[in-house]
Amino acid sequence: MIRLDDYIPIVGPAVVGQLYRLAEHLGTHRLVNINSTRTGGGVAEILSRVVPLLNQLGIETLWEVIEGDQLFFETTKAMHNALQGQKVYFSPEMLEHYEQINRTNAPKFNWQADLVIVHDPQPAFLINEMRSQAKHWVWRCHIDISRPYRSIWKFLQQTVSEYDASVFSMPRFSQNLEHPQYIIYPSIDPLSEKNRELSPEEIQAVLDRLGIERDKPIILQVSRFDSFKDPLGVIQAFRLVRRHTPCKLLLVGGEATDDPEGPKIFAAVQEAASGEPDIQVLMLPSDSHYEVNAIQRAADIILQKSVREGFGLTVTEAMWKGKPVIGGAVGGIVLQLQDYYNGFLVHTPEGCAFRIRYLLHRPQLGRRLGQVAREFVRDHFLITRTLRDYLTLMILVENPDSRMFEL
Amino acid sequence: MTVAPEQTAQDPFWFRECFVMPMPIGRKAINLRELVETLRVVDEWVPYYHLFQYRLSLTYPGVEYPNEFAFWAATALQDNQLAEKLSSFDPFDFANMSQVREALIDILDSYLWDLTYIPWARPGFEFDFCEASTAVIRSKIVAHTLPEFCQALQQVGLDSIYFHFFEARWRLGVREVDDFSFWIEYNFNCPEAVKQIRDIDLYFYSLREIRDELLKIIDQYLGDHCDQAG
Repeated sequence: MIRLDDYIPIVGPAVVGQLYRLAEHLGTHRLVNINSTRTGGGVAEILSRVVPLLNQLGIETLWEVIEGDQLFFETTKAMHNALQGQKVYFSPEMLEHYEQINRTNAPKFNWQADLVIVHDPQPAFLINEMRSQAKHWVWRCHIDISRPYRSIWKFLQQTVSEYDASVFSMPRFSQNLEHPQYIIYPSIDPLSEKNRELSPEEIQAVLDRLGIERDKPIILQVSRFDSFKDPLGVIQAFRLVRRHTPCKLLLVGGEATDDPEGPKIFAAVQEAASGEPDIQVLMLPSDSHYEVNAIQRAADIILQKSVREGFGLTVTEAMWKGKPVIGGAVGGIVLQLQDYYNGFLVHTPEGCAFRIRYLLHRPQLGRRLGQVAREFVRDHFLITRTLRDYLTLMILVENPDSRMFEL
Repeated sequence: MTVAPEQTAQDPFWFRECFVMPMPIGRKAINLRELVETLRVVDEWVPYYHLFQYRLSLTYPGVEYPNEFAFWAATALQDNQLAEKLSSFDPFDFANMSQVREALIDILDSYLWDLTYIPWARPGFEFDFCEASTAVIRSKIVAHTLPEFCQALQQVGLDSIYFHFFEARWRLGVREVDDFSFWIEYNFNCPEAVKQIRDIDLYFYSLREIRDELLKIIDQYLGDHCDQAG
């Protein structure tokens, strides 16, 4: 089991010491997290790490999961898409079923808590059944809700308004709500398989296994084969670079998901890459965290040329590995990268090609950007920051009207 | 002049820790005109956040712009002239946030006045207005001597440095005086160290750099005994 003190060599004793002091100040508290799945997806991933660490800090932390049937999860998936802006039709039966499943789940939970954090829309309706079981209720939205489809937001807003506060991943995702809205930036775990340090031998073994040669500088993009990640734009940029400078492109993506567009884009990527020996397209199983870690560490430049993005944790992962990162100037990527300080933001395939060439010819600058990027992530986007934010949130919900107070 | 490492302060220094959480107010500006109009109507905690507290939220390495308005002008509007003007804006020139807000709006308004167009933010770089909630906690970390003070500086979080070195000036209402130099001035006869600390141009250092600078200054006057806590 990972101990909180295991993070001391990474973030320093001051950061971990502060977590202990903050938790001690809070004293006996019971925190309950509720979401809709124990495995798979970013929320489950972060909760599986955060919950044991909060317990180590002495905060009694429970993690509850609601159960639902196929129609419920189809409805909440559609809700997710609609909150991200897709126009989706919801029949009254679907919405009634969503509420009903929440009502059916409610009696299973019989604790009393100081704070309940409800993650995303799936279990949001529970508050209407269970309000009295906790002093404070917070809705934690992990979704890019900057331009939600109006009708579904109107529906959900009635429930969200019942909460004492909301938490979003970026200021841009905040809504016109009466209660306090807070920001907790997403984070990565530096001790996970995806991010832990690897030896040169471990990295080389993965490259050998996957047939990746390091004969030329490696340009890498890790992302789903999805038009928002613009893999075709990446290939276009690579071809522009190759006219001037030798290098190779690695496009690494997960297995086809439930995204109907996925296979179509993957086929288009394969077609665009055909006949070009220096482009390698790899489709890896979705749990290939260790392999992705090794490939990222072997790369010379990492791209995330998205044309639409939530927060962009793949950028955070690449920055943590000390790599120069070129990202599309969208979503949370603009919060993470700043030109010439810790990476580059680009708007077009041409811009991407230009910055790749720039970095290929200035490897020293690339190393410097990568070092600064790593420190930036260390300060803001590691799991210890999320722990601190959760503990702080527990204090703030008890003082919602005060903007500065001493305890 | 040096200070004996064992010299004890009359009043010990109790470190505060502060925990800031940004609170978006759900409003944004997509151009300079909207920025000015919104600044007129929002709560005073909003300019306070963007001028002071944003340092604790997401600080970029290598501080170039001293406040978020200047940073936004440079990166989102890509208007260097406005960024230069806003970079020289010092909120400590004013007695309260109401005056600060008025002065800030005046800069923006007069800049707009002379333009024949309205500067727009690059897509994706809209200005998101925030305020923040800050919980200040009296920690159990205390210094009775300068070596203890140095050790504590390395033990507390960077937000503690912000609270005592940055926020203190606003709290105490004296631009030059921070909690650290105030404590040293009243407890140790070391005016040179006090002066050096007050000469740090806080706008151009990150909180980590400020901590390193403080340690370096005190170390000089302790005769390299900074690491010898009592």
